[in-house]
Amino acid sequence: MTEFTVVTRDTPAGPVLELTGDLDAVTAPLALQAVEALTPRAGQQVVVELTGLRFCDSSGISTLIAVHNLAHAADAGIALAGVPRHLTRTLALVGLDGFFVTHLTAAQAQAAWPEATGG
Amino acid sequence: MIRQAGDPREGENFADLYEHAPCGYLSTSMDGTITKVNGTLLGWLGIGRDELVGRRRFADLLSVGGRIYHETHFAPMLRMHGEAGGIALELVRADGTRLPVLVSSTVKTSANGDAELIRTTVFDAHDRRSYEQELLRALQEAEQERDRVQLLATTLQRTLLPPSLPHIPGMDVAAYYHPASADEVGGDFYDLFPLADGTWAFFLGDVSGKGAEAAVVTSLARYTLRAAAVYDPHPVAVLEHLNTVLIQEQISTTPRFCTAIHGLLEPAEGGATITLASGGHPPALLIRHDGPAELLTAQGGQLIGALPDARFVELQVHLRPGDTLLLYSDGLTEARTHDRVRYDEEELRDFADTLDVSSATETVAAVSQLLAGFGVDDDTALLALSVRLDEEGRS
Repeated sequence: MTEFTVVTRDTPAGPVLELTGDLDAVTAPLALQAVEALTPRAGQQVVVELTGLRFCDSSGISTLIAVHNLAHAADAGIALAGVPRHLTRTLALVGLDGFFVTHLTAAQAQAAWPEATGG
Repeated sequence: MIRQAGDPREGENFADLYEHAPCGYLSTSMDGTITKVNGTLLGWLGIGRDELVGRRRFADLLSVGGRIYHETHFAPMLRMHGEAGGIALELVRADGTRLPVLVSSTVKTSANGDAELIRTTVFDAHDRRSYEQELLRALQEAEQERDRVQLLATTLQRTLLPPSLPHIPGMDVAAYYHPASADEVGGDFYDLFPLADGTWAFFLGDVSGKGAEAAVVTSLARYTLRAAAVYDPHPVAVLEHLNTVLIQEQISTTPRFCTAIHGLLEPAEGGATITLASGGHPPALLIRHDGPAELLTAQGGQLIGALPDARFVELQVHLRPGDTLLLYSDGLTEARTHDRVRYDEEELRDFADTLDVSSATETVAAVSQLLAGFGVDDDTALLALSVRLDEEGRS
């Protein structure tokens, strides 16, 4: 059985999207719905919290690219937090290692964002 | 509330209830000869009492199918258990029409346990039969609908895969496709086709996602790759072309990208030279006839259709007789095996090392067998090319 949850929370520095469980072809539409509901303002940063992500296939990568495109279109930044090892490997496989800014935790990602004090 | 047994109306009431009950009653001797029958059943049958009692057996009232069922199931059950209930049969009326009924029988035994007679209750199951036929029809319609959807998906899928692989002189080629579901078009694609000057192009790719939207990208990718390879066979150029086309095609916020390996095959002295470009695809596997299997990692090649300035990485290998090149989709290496452990590229390489194969056909057979053991839930494609070991064996 596929278990998956997506939680969005708004912070002064920008929205945080937390994905846990299995992100695959079955659950990716759910994740994408949450992504499309994000409304980052220019100068904010979208953080995708991935510590609890157990599995991620190409549909999951697609979701991450969707976050990237949405943030980019809004003139906001994007960072991944707590990227699990399996995802690092998948990202490398599709040539996206170094494509995303990564941090150990969402808090660190927000602290590192130059405009973190805004909001 | 219960009437006294001595009530003078009692006997009359029971006789009336028996005769005009809303169900049919029938008694037969142990050989099936009808000894008693109520008016309700006679009315349903349109037959007079005199024609039945002492003359006909219960089985004579049934349709041919019902008679056989009675003989093979109903009567034995009755003999064995002393009762049989809720059996659906068809009575044949005097006018030849049929009446669906539900039949229950019990054997009446005497005080010393000898079977004396069979009492049978017959319920009109006409309404119930209509309901069941309605259910059956609905089921048949649903099945036909599902067949139509599967046929559509299968037909569409066929247009995304080559009907058969071409024959390449001196080479053995083999492919395999495992659809994730019969109802949906998968996102995997491959092809192998001739270019000018005796060279060949091939590719294998995987579109993210499933269903109709993915099928559109699959179709676009396959035809774009074929056209681009004719225009400029250089593999990196082919992938760059596809990237441009896919980026231009982005219609929704859902990014639709693919990963693919595109290759160029040039026959060379003692084998073939292969140039590969990878766009974020799992590394091709080179299974040497006389050496260890090897993953051909094109480090840094990016997925296709997501980034406007994606870069693709090229590498070249030489195939000698007995060497096999295997391309596969991540249905294989993302396969979550029964215990949910990811089967990765290194494990595939180690598996290949254990194989005693020297042709594309043998390799595809072995790897598809491995896949069958996984019970994968994603579609999976394999494409293998090998240089024939035995030149005399060429057809």
